[in-house]
Amino acid sequence: MSRRRQIAAAAAVVLAVAGCFALGRYGAYLVHAVAISAIAALGLNLLTGFAGQISFAQGALVGIGAYTAGNLGNAGWGAGAVLAGGVAGGVASVVIGLPALRLRGLYYAIATLAAQFVLEYLFKIVEPLTRGISGMNVSPLVLLGRTVASDQAYAALSLALLAITWAGLQRLMHTNVGRSFLVVRENELVARGMGIDVVRVKLWAFLVSGFVTGVSGALVAFTTRLATPEAFSLQLSVDQVAMLIVGGQGVWAGSLLGATFVVLVPEAIQRAGEAFKAANLLSASREMAFGLLIILFLVFEPRGLAALLRRLGRALSRLVASRASRASPTPAALATSRYPATGGSREKAH
Amino acid sequence: MLLLQIATAGIATGSVYALIAIGIVLIYKCSGVVNFGQGGYVMLGAYAAYALTRLGLSPQLAAAGAVLILAAVGALTELLVLRRMLKAPVVAVMMVTLGLLILFRAVCLAIFGPDQIAFPQIFPQGAVDIAGIFITYNYVAAAVLSLVLSLAFLAFYRYTPMGLMQRAAADNSRAALAVGIHVSNQVSVAWAVSSALAGLGGVLLATLNSLSLTLSSIGLVAFPVIVLGGLTSLMGSLVAGLLLGMLEAFTDGLLTPALESFLRAHTSVYSVGALQQVVPYMLVGAMLLVRPQGIFGQRGTERV
Repeated sequence: MSRRRQIAAAAAVVLAVAGCFALGRYGAYLVHAVAISAIAALGLNLLTGFAGQISFAQGALVGIGAYTAGNLGNAGWGAGAVLAGGVAGGVASVVIGLPALRLRGLYYAIATLAAQFVLEYLFKIVEPLTRGISGMNVSPLVLLGRTVASDQAYAALSLALLAITWAGLQRLMHTNVGRSFLVVRENELVARGMGIDVVRVKLWAFLVSGFVTGVSGALVAFTTRLATPEAFSLQLSVDQVAMLIVGGQGVWAGSLLGATFVVLVPEAIQRAGEAFKAANLLSASREMAFGLLIILFLVFEPRGLAALLRRLGRALSRLVASRASRASPTPAALATSRYPATGGSREKAH
Repeated sequence: MLLLQIATAGIATGSVYALIAIGIVLIYKCSGVVNFGQGGYVMLGAYAAYALTRLGLSPQLAAAGAVLILAAVGALTELLVLRRMLKAPVVAVMMVTLGLLILFRAVCLAIFGPDQIAFPQIFPQGAVDIAGIFITYNYVAAAVLSLVLSLAFLAFYRYTPMGLMQRAAADNSRAALAVGIHVSNQVSVAWAVSSALAGLGGVLLATLNSLSLTLSSIGLVAFPVIVLGGLTSLMGSLVAGLLLGMLEAFTDGLLTPALESFLRAHTSVYSVGALQQVVPYMLVGAMLLVRPQGIFGQRGTERV
């Protein structure tokens, strides 16, 4: 990213964070719901999209972050609770990932599925730490001596953390560890041949992805103020994978697009259908639309919304360029029409 | 006595698990696709049978009809969805089967509602008395039917020309194409057979318990079974299915009460919850660390 675009992005983030305070309660709720999901989706994207390890344990990892942060938050930790949630998530992710050092692809996916079920069970059973199925109440986050209580404040906080995570992960991909993620994803044998320590690289991927997911879990705990086992069930894991795939793997913007889609589409259907007052039919049609959209997406656009937007942007700029060239076919117009698509799609993503 | 009672229950559910797991293995062998949505077909089978009885068919005919319907649904899934995704990445294919699961669940929720439904009586009521233990006909029928069908299917796979084509397509699709086998059609057949088996499994499970949307999560229980048996071994799924069925039954019947009484005596923990539901997964976690290819599987057959 060029210096100018970095500054523009930072300004956009600051504006967006400040803008959160101008939102109504419902708007702010939507913003932090999307942002928190997007943070976890970024973590999953790092693991699956960049390092090539499919995980169905994302829901449980969010849960670990939430329970850790909730307990510590109740004990009076402030921002430390959020960090601790991240650390706990990272450690758990490494433990879950240990089988992945021997397993590949599908087998690892099944191992994470097993981890999801076992952790979900533990959330219900370890009552001293989780309060079992009735759920644990979480007192609001205390930040710099002030209690964060409003949805607007949480929206701002989540957006800021999303931006920091995004920038951090993007930075990570420019380090040696980050680049070796890509090699491991493409071919472990080649990676080993190039002198990459595959075990170490995978453990890094698990640690960082788990940390990010844990932070998202901490935010879930503080925004919902209640941590229950069913909030962190397989459903959440599946939703997370759906975000990843609908958005697009291996593209950071894809995580945000996917999270927006997966959180807002059901919300929109809910709102639209509330007038009809048919509870069964409503939740059924919500799920139906969700399932159908996922299937259609994967059949027609397996590379996700990010790729779709990029193609759209390219087509649009071609249209603009052809019109411009008809008016005055300058070399400058041709030059800009060659690679404008990435810029267009990224701006949409912000 | 209690042990035998528990064991029979374990064999009955275990053989149904085997039936469902065989379907997953069949598709995986043939096309490299892991069907996470198998539970959806299980549930559809049960609801289809219920719907057919509501239309006035006798329960036995409805069960047979449901199996046929499910075969058609399976073939259609392959034709409409999976065949278009031949070149898609593995994650996308996994996710599409999960999407199918969500879709099927939602369809059943919309039509039949979220409540449990009493399933029509397919097998005669009552119980057989074998050496002092009573086994209801439901359990006998479920065990016998799934075991016989599993074995029949294994025989079909082994000894018929169609089975040979299936095995050829599964073993090496290019070589199969070269000798004139229509591999995509074989994959369709595999989906049809697999869904039919799942549908039958659904009907049997519904007779054992009752009809509800939770049947769809049975597909995920089948994954410990196939990992334990080896992803590529049909016989392995049969054995592992029985094994896990027994394990679940014994955990539920013996281990949980023993653990709970111990914990209540010594700690403040009151309940260990649905331990039987997680025991298979714990076993799978251990299994994957020790012997990832399963009891009967072969190494080096995973899709890289």
